[in-house]
Amino acid sequence: MSSIEAIRERIPEAARDLRLNLGAVLGESSLSETQRWGTAVACAYAARNPELTAAIVADAKAKVDEAVIDDARAAAALMGMNNVYYRFRHMIGKEAYQTKPARLRMQRIARPNGSKVDFELYCLAVSAINGCEMCLQSHEKVVVEGGLSDEQVHDAVRIAATIHGAAVALELDAGDRAAAELAA
Amino acid sequence: MLTVGDKLPSFRLRAAVSIEKGKEFAEIDDKSYEGKWLVLFAWPRDFTFVCPTEIAAFGKKNREFADRDAQVLGMSTDGHFVHAAWRRDHADLRDLPFPMLADDKRELSTALGILHKEEGVCLRATFIVDPKGVIRHVSVNDLDVGRNVDEVLRVLDALQTDELCPCNWQKGDETLKVA
Repeated sequence: MSSIEAIRERIPEAARDLRLNLGAVLGESSLSETQRWGTAVACAYAARNPELTAAIVADAKAKVDEAVIDDARAAAALMGMNNVYYRFRHMIGKEAYQTKPARLRMQRIARPNGSKVDFELYCLAVSAINGCEMCLQSHEKVVVEGGLSDEQVHDAVRIAATIHGAAVALELDAGDRAAAELAA
Repeated sequence: MLTVGDKLPSFRLRAAVSIEKGKEFAEIDDKSYEGKWLVLFAWPRDFTFVCPTEIAAFGKKNREFADRDAQVLGMSTDGHFVHAAWRRDHADLRDLPFPMLADDKRELSTALGILHKEEGVCLRATFIVDPKGVIRHVSVNDLDVGRNVDEVLRVLDALQTDELCPCNWQKGDETLKVA
């Protein structure tokens, strides 16, 4: 049994839809195997449930090179920074902040191990989780200009949405346990 | 003196790299660290007082430079045996993590234009060179004035931090090209 299959069984009944979606979105789709697993790993780190991340990384390692996983890790971490910073700029919209240099290092974005478009796709999926409107608009524009189809972008965002939901689902029982301990 | 926008002259120099027997010396040229930034700094003379303090300060921050894809190179007009002797002699220099270039023929320091007009030794010059070999920062102090390594790091950061993320996009702009 794969690690993801094992963890799907731990998703409680209230979130059965997520259990099924998690199986479906990581199956055959418009995405290449690299795009699919790279996106999944980046989203797992962004969704920040350690068990789910461990399971997704374990299964990803059986399918794709270490270099892809490394790109996905970099995308999750860098967008963890950029989504916060640029979201601020975008939300406030003041000229004064648009014109200040960010003075934040993001060299890794320019030097992915694998394809630049795939890397941008991971960034897009992570931006969907982190919720920045203009980051999504700009990364979507870049990947489409880089040759990806609407279908591929859509499938990547379905992975992001499902992994984020699954991370919440896996914490439902943990939340219940903590509540029971408080009541005792 | 060479300045911002000039190409780093080509060089090939002996260097003291270690105090370990048999591994003391290496030959280093302008192609030894291809793809890296270079932070090249010069001092007037080995075995003087200001020098080990600032050389050791560069050594302590070596990891900071390495994390920024930068190779630190020290140099003076002393020979490689003098460098090695100084490394062995001074506790702060023993584990120095970067090479000390020996420009005893004064070729590189002449090409850089950093020799003191009367003393004929290197001024305390610092060059930051980008991976294409182009000088991006120059600073120079008189013989007795030490440098601030944090300031060198600050300049390196400022040279390296481009906003490379498409998030930097503003409505109406062309997007960054991914190809």
